[in-house]
Amino acid sequence: MAELILDVKDISKTFPGVRALDRVSFDLRKGEVHALVGENGAGKSTLMKILSGVYQPDGGTLTYKGKEVHFQSARESSEAGIGIIYQELNLVPHLTVAQNIYMGREPRTALGYLDDRKMNVDAAKILAELNVDISPAVRLNKLSISKQQMVEIAKALSKDSEVLIMDEPTSALTETEIDELFKVIHKLRSRGVGIIYISHRLEELKHIVDRITVFRDGRYISTTNYADITMEEIINKMVGRKLENMFPVRKNLPTQKKLLEVRHIVHGSILRDISFDLYEGEILGLSGLMGAGRSELARAIFGADPRDSGDIIRDGKKLDIRSPADAIRHGIAYLSENRKEEGLAVKMRIDQNVTMANLPEVSKRFGIISSAQELQATQNYVDELDIRTPSLVQVVNHLSGGNQQKVVVAKWLFRDSRILIFDEPTRGIDVGAKFAIYELIERLARKGVGVIVISSELPEILGMTDRVLVLHEGRLTATLRTKDTSQEEILNYAAGLGA
Amino acid sequence: MANENLQNASGQAEAEVRAKPGRKKLALGQFVIFGAFVFLFILFSVVAKNFFTMRNVLTLALQTSTVTLMGIGVTFTIITGGIDLSIGSVIALTGTIAVIAANSGMAIWLSMVMGLLTGVLCGFLNGAMITGLRIPPFIATLGMMMVARGFVLTITNAMSKPAPDAFGHLGNDTLFSFSQKFPGIGYPVFIMIAVAIIFGFILRKTRVGRYTYAIGSNEEASRLSGIKVARIKVIAYMISGFCAALAGIILASRMVTSQPNGGISYELNAIAASVIGGTSLMGGIGTVAGAVIGSFIIGVLGVGLTMSGASFFVQQIAIGLVVIGSVAIDQIRYKKK
Repeated sequence: MAELILDVKDISKTFPGVRALDRVSFDLRKGEVHALVGENGAGKSTLMKILSGVYQPDGGTLTYKGKEVHFQSARESSEAGIGIIYQELNLVPHLTVAQNIYMGREPRTALGYLDDRKMNVDAAKILAELNVDISPAVRLNKLSISKQQMVEIAKALSKDSEVLIMDEPTSALTETEIDELFKVIHKLRSRGVGIIYISHRLEELKHIVDRITVFRDGRYISTTNYADITMEEIINKMVGRKLENMFPVRKNLPTQKKLLEVRHIVHGSILRDISFDLYEGEILGLSGLMGAGRSELARAIFGADPRDSGDIIRDGKKLDIRSPADAIRHGIAYLSENRKEEGLAVKMRIDQNVTMANLPEVSKRFGIISSAQELQATQNYVDELDIRTPSLVQVVNHLSGGNQQKVVVAKWLFRDSRILIFDEPTRGIDVGAKFAIYELIERLARKGVGVIVISSELPEILGMTDRVLVLHEGRLTATLRTKDTSQEEILNYAAGLGA
Repeated sequence: MANENLQNASGQAEAEVRAKPGRKKLALGQFVIFGAFVFLFILFSVVAKNFFTMRNVLTLALQTSTVTLMGIGVTFTIITGGIDLSIGSVIALTGTIAVIAANSGMAIWLSMVMGLLTGVLCGFLNGAMITGLRIPPFIATLGMMMVARGFVLTITNAMSKPAPDAFGHLGNDTLFSFSQKFPGIGYPVFIMIAVAIIFGFILRKTRVGRYTYAIGSNEEASRLSGIKVARIKVIAYMISGFCAALAGIILASRMVTSQPNGGISYELNAIAASVIGGTSLMGGIGTVAGAVIGSFIIGVLGVGLTMSGASFFVQQIAIGLVVIGSVAIDQIRYKKK
């Protein structure tokens, strides 16, 4: 057995209100690819940030190359030889490949000038070792995403990294590009680099992984040789928990009345011919892995992104939706997963946010806004949705995440929306406040609103919805009745494995 | 378990007061700025002998009216997250167009309307470039600044032309002229007050104003809320063009000549006035009242320092320091929050 290069023992990390890691352990050998899997919130990213020095653990020990280490910054970890490749590439598009590889450590001549020639030669050497055909002098933004990823890897190797952490490296790659990446990973492994490989795509692990560790809810579950475990067992370990009573009881059944018919939505290779129905009073889940096209589907229906073809039909009539304004006019609302970036005007007040999508309702002639009506409407929603705020004219930036979400909901209710699309409605919201959001969604459905819930948290999908649509790489792979399905089944369809 | 969480949540919330309609508070920043204005005013009244005379105060108001008008207009564009650099040139162009129209025998009021329309058109073109062609506001209005200036210099051969005497009434006549001691209040001052009230009202109380803030605060959220972002932006630049045109016509009228070389770098004073008044170049924040006070601070500094014997160059230094200082104070206050 190869020697251990990294040994994590009983590491804990607590954030205000959340125990992100609870005495987890993990080890890595030289020349091995060790997969780390788990659902969202399992603690994978937190552990990676501790290994790369971004966070400091509250307890436990970190042993690297036989010595206990305490990384205080990303720089320390990187200098020690731990390289990390984030899901979002951290490169500068307008600089050349070589400039990116040596950023911050540019070779200089004796006179202190930048030594571009040496930099390009060195970069070419590293790229050649990886067997990739990239010129060091080419500007980064001329390269495909996979080539850019190779540059990230080259950058990590140029620092003589002995441990390489890859966080969802294939999420933006095509199949041939993934093959290329795997070749490089094999090569690195044979050179003795230890690789921690994080991925949601369980099916791709079989090509590269030696061992696999499962985390769940911030806890360590198991480590196994990949050869000794089945896909089903992995999924069981990932899901593991029994559904607790975290969700309100559904008090109504969806009606048979179609509220919205979506037909043959196509948008490049992101959305490939998606059709489904939404019924009055229904809560419809939209599940899938990252990059499966869930938000894109919602945005296409809402007119926020263009679509190549496809119809959106309400009451037998095709709706002409080309912009959010069109969709809103037809009673469709979209609550973005990025609340602060796309949902709220955070510098503005609660009342101003609530009325933002329906100002004419509180306006007199000549577009003059009636403050009295505006405050009255806001008061109604603050009461109805139980928004906790010291005043109606509070700037929304100062509210908690749960209350901000309620303000967005209030905005759409004030607009009389009949179809509400929630994109990750409980992201970044405390556990306690989540229940309030679930209750709210349930109440909306009871009133006959059609609700679509996009969520990466399967318990949420199973606990809340009547039916589930599962997407895989832009295709609808399954439409399931929630009460007849399971996390395992959904995950299978989401991974493109079929039933 | 869920119930427990729920109880915790409501327990925490008990500390918070139930929602009540809050009273509108004047932003602290505006108090500070207004205080600074009063302070400067008193300071110069003590230091400069003839500063605090009725005649001087009236002159100050008259002189400041141009920058104030421009400052009000440009504030709209800055709140959307943009900028309008073209207004200095628009002043020269619109005033000159009005004078040319008047000289061609057109009725004076109609010639002035021509000037106003020219300004609105410039603003419309700015807005169209920014929203239609997606040119950054800085670049689009910089281009417009050069084109408008070049255009007015070309059609006039860079020469000032006198206007009919009647053209001068707007800029030089006064109301309430009772005596030597009280020479009356110039029409431009009334125009300035009316524009401040009307556009202040638009910004605070109408949908156009609300959308202006919303776009500056979060353009994507605004779009996803169904706001017609492009239309509102174009309106903001048209308002800026309109206000600059008013300033241009007043300036031409006061001189009773066309001023193809006039208004150079006035846009910077207007932007400075707006910023001193608390407008954020990041968008989403700013008021008409702030722009007015900001303009008057610049005006008082200018007149006061001149009367105290300081040179024009020293005035520049003072105004520059005030711009930097006012924003620095904002930043420090913001950080503390």
